[in-house]
Amino acid sequence: MKMTDPLNESQVIESLLRTISPSRLSLFLQCRLKFWFRYVARLPKQKSAALHLGSTVHAVLKVWNKARWRNTPLTLKQLHDEYANAWMDQSIDPIPWEDGQEETEKVTGWRLVETYIRESKIPPDLRPDAVEVPAEADLAEHGLPNLIGVLDLVQGGVIIDYKTSGQTPHAERSIHIHEIQTTSYSVLYRASTNKREAGIEIHTLVKLKTPKLVITAAPPVTTQQRDRLFHLIEAYQSGISRQDFIPSPGMHCASCEFFNECRAWS
Amino acid sequence: MAIILEANYAKKLGLPNYSSHQYSVTIRTELTDPSQIAEESARLYSLLQDAVDKEIQVVGFMPDASRYGMNNGQSNGHSNGNGNHSNGNHSNGNGNGNHSNGSGNSNGHPPARRAPIPASDGWNCTEGQKGFLLRIINEANLDKAEVEALARQLFGVGVKELDKLQASQLIEDLLEKSGKTPSPRRSPWQGRQPSRA
Repeated sequence: MKMTDPLNESQVIESLLRTISPSRLSLFLQCRLKFWFRYVARLPKQKSAALHLGSTVHAVLKVWNKARWRNTPLTLKQLHDEYANAWMDQSIDPIPWEDGQEETEKVTGWRLVETYIRESKIPPDLRPDAVEVPAEADLAEHGLPNLIGVLDLVQGGVIIDYKTSGQTPHAERSIHIHEIQTTSYSVLYRASTNKREAGIEIHTLVKLKTPKLVITAAPPVTTQQRDRLFHLIEAYQSGISRQDFIPSPGMHCASCEFFNECRAWS
Repeated sequence: MAIILEANYAKKLGLPNYSSHQYSVTIRTELTDPSQIAEESARLYSLLQDAVDKEIQVVGFMPDASRYGMNNGQSNGHSNGNGNHSNGNHSNGNGNGNHSNGSGNSNGHPPARRAPIPASDGWNCTEGQKGFLLRIINEANLDKAEVEALARQLFGVGVKELDKLQASQLIEDLLEKSGKTPSPRRSPWQGRQPSRA
């Protein structure tokens, strides 16, 4: 499968080799053809209801943390107003809601935010170190592209990443599943501050009938984990250079937005 | 007419744990006849290569990769000054150098994106961050003294002392304050990306 403009494709591939982000690396390792659809061909795809809910919750938690960072913590009422505004922001990616679905999802999302504020037990006046901050690590010395990413929250030296999920995560599996992201954040944090993180936490908001927060804590990233990440980035570099964009059929295809395009691949 | 011939031979080798070390020797010599250049160059190349190969076999200090540079909350005290890496560059040449495949881009990949350049004039952040901060201040007509006071209030240090993470956070904050909403998942001082990170 090729893009209609080969010149543009080679430029895109070149730019994909200059920098790398954890989400791009994860997607490449999950399915190279899906990576091609999203990052090379840039096929437009409709935003799903679940993604809208997740990104709205994420945006509101950012506002909550940013207010704490500025020493102007928000009340629950103010936070609800922020949530309502963020939910309405569907101008760029309209969601194809079914009858009554939007209101139900909106309530679910707000219950997740409320659950987080209540169960995380983070005092409103506790000031974070950093909130939703872009960072970059120079890996040229390792022969690798620059690593870029955005740290959701750093508090007391602990790197915190937010997730929303429909299922309660298993602690050990959660650490493994998100290792590319958390190790990347550690590399970014250390490159930007010259300090080692105090630990890693994955804060998963679980969309159950009664929502709950599961905090999975891990110690600072080890040298072995960092080297594993570097090997994966190396594999990304080689694969992209070879334009090795093949499908990886598996269970993950069930929720893939490029299922039909993939079936047409040869 | 005297001809100055300058010869340099450098070698960089990979070491365990994503480290490397390097050594180079430079020599200058004076020739009187241009016809001597080729022969003298070959002689110097062989001489310098032997010298470098002999010395580079001595690896010297190798840090314990599980502990080196991991003193939480402390600078690792390396000589590179920009604090870019957790295991830094040791002044003897050992450090966090290349992969075992040798020098950075010898594996056939296109050159990696240019590394962030440390800012000059005593700034702790990168040159890109420094330039972007100054541009926001100029374009939004912000008072430098107020931005300095803001940095002290938010981070407890002045603008020049901000590390890269703090500088990035200040940039985001100034962009919001000046009505320019920062990119949700990427900062303007970072390189162009093809799509969402």
